[in-house]
Amino acid sequence: MTQPAARRLLLGLAVALALADGSVVTLALPDILADFDVEIPTVAWVLTSYNIVLALAAVPAALLARRRARTVCVTGVVVFAVASAACAVAPSFAVLLGARCLQALGGAALITASLELLAAQEPSDEDAVRLWVRAGILGAALGPAAGGIVTQVLGWEWIFALQVPAALVALAAMRGAPTREQVAGPSERPDVPINAALALLSAALAAALFLLVLLLVNGWRLEPAAAGVVVTVMPVAAVLATRYAGRIEGLLVRAAAGAILVAGGLAALGLLPGANWLWTIPPQVLVGAGLGLALSALTQRALAGRAPQVLHGGWTIASRHAGVVLGLLLLTPLFTAALDRNQDEALAAGTAAVLDSAVPPLDKLRVAQDVLTEVDRAQGRMPDVAPAFQGHDEPAYRSLEAALVDQLDRAATNAFSSSFLLGAGLALAALVPLAFAVRRR
Amino acid sequence: MRLAAPLLAAAALGLGLAGTYAALGGGSYKPVAVADPCAQRQRPGSGGVSGGIESVVLSALDGAACTLGVSREELVLALRSTSALHSFARSNGIAENEVDDAVRAGIVRAVDDAARSGSIEPRTAGLLRTAAERLPIGFVLDLIRGATRFLPG
Repeated sequence: MTQPAARRLLLGLAVALALADGSVVTLALPDILADFDVEIPTVAWVLTSYNIVLALAAVPAALLARRRARTVCVTGVVVFAVASAACAVAPSFAVLLGARCLQALGGAALITASLELLAAQEPSDEDAVRLWVRAGILGAALGPAAGGIVTQVLGWEWIFALQVPAALVALAAMRGAPTREQVAGPSERPDVPINAALALLSAALAAALFLLVLLLVNGWRLEPAAAGVVVTVMPVAAVLATRYAGRIEGLLVRAAAGAILVAGGLAALGLLPGANWLWTIPPQVLVGAGLGLALSALTQRALAGRAPQVLHGGWTIASRHAGVVLGLLLLTPLFTAALDRNQDEALAAGTAAVLDSAVPPLDKLRVAQDVLTEVDRAQGRMPDVAPAFQGHDEPAYRSLEAALVDQLDRAATNAFSSSFLLGAGLALAALVPLAFAVRRR
Repeated sequence: MRLAAPLLAAAALGLGLAGTYAALGGGSYKPVAVADPCAQRQRPGSGGVSGGIESVVLSALDGAACTLGVSREELVLALRSTSALHSFARSNGIAENEVDDAVRAGIVRAVDDAARSGSIEPRTAGLLRTAAERLPIGFVLDLIRGATRFLPG
């Protein structure tokens, strides 16, 4: 591999790694919650804090990277690696949160400065932006899947521990990296409609990435690693879409088509007709393809002809992560309320199934008691009722167990429905600022 | 038209998939709504003493739930423990003695219906009626919960 090719690969890896961190701990949250004995709204800050700090730090980091790209990138990688190590060995939840904020600061520096370093070595600015965007999309979309697999196989601490050597390897890319001589001049204003569209689409992305893995693992009781494999459909579709995106003429048309595909995929996830992971594949293809088309087109458009490029790259990162935070803030209360409501409905429907079942009348009391014990043991999560039926292979018991599992699956799936539909609405809302951008043109 | 084609294709794909999922029952894939306790319903038929008592208990629960304006299932879940009963009474604005009275009246009415239709023997009906009318409701419910220890299967 030639030196520029290796550098390109390592810089892409660093960008993907830092952007994956915005979602990588999604499937690790239950384990982190258990280890530090914190409440559910508190543990969500492991995700939210990283996205907030990245959104706030991206533009200042870009301003610094404009002057000293290599120094900022090296500093960013080192800070990111040290903070990742601190996350892995954090003795308390407060230390973990602090380390996550530091990690986001390092991430903001390395992501923005990488764009400047890529621009200095690629044949054109457009090539650099395209590469930078692809790495970012791949990282963001692969985050939950990679985190789920590592959490199940090694434990959540390893999500962070494995990032240390990966980040340090990327340091090699900085050695001797060419930098551009900066042309002094005023900075152009950011493209507000395009960045607004990016934020809305990223809010929709939060629904697609975070909620889908939660549905698979907490709702349908898939193992985290299996869920991780299932959701890789999205990044694969995204990468394929970015590869063929050039066939669609016009960045705004491409972005609008992508937003419509994301909305359609999320609407289909909100209307799932069954609790089987196979149902999620076609919507994932649409969401992934839509993200690949829209995120790349919007980022290229936000940077096109705007100087300095690194600063506008910083604005796109800030918009994307502000959008993710917006999505989390809007979707979490909606999802939590729907989950509570559906659990109550499932409990009532399950009780009806027990009362009306063909299980011998006097054994219904024992079965009902055992099922309720499993419900209490699940502590608000979807219970596993199988233990209540152990030792009973008669058709009446099997039929009742299937009826209860069906009600739980329905409740879990329906609990996510309104949040996916809200995500679809957010993706469609991205068309409004895009319409402004078209009119302005 | 050339610029509109990708948008139309994306809309067709999105609407097509969401529409297909809705047509396959996606919009109604949710927990089954519980039945109205005031309406007649088919009850599981099983013979013997335990089957007869089951019919009485289910009929009694329907009657009590209908009187209280709640579902049979909500009432059953409320009767599983004292704390669940407190919570049920508080959230539905019902006094706990109203729940007692409704369950007691429901049992007596269901026993009378079962005796008239011959589902349970007159002697069993008499015992159940006396228990429902005279014994503290908590004891009656404990008796029902622990029925497996007292009655043949």
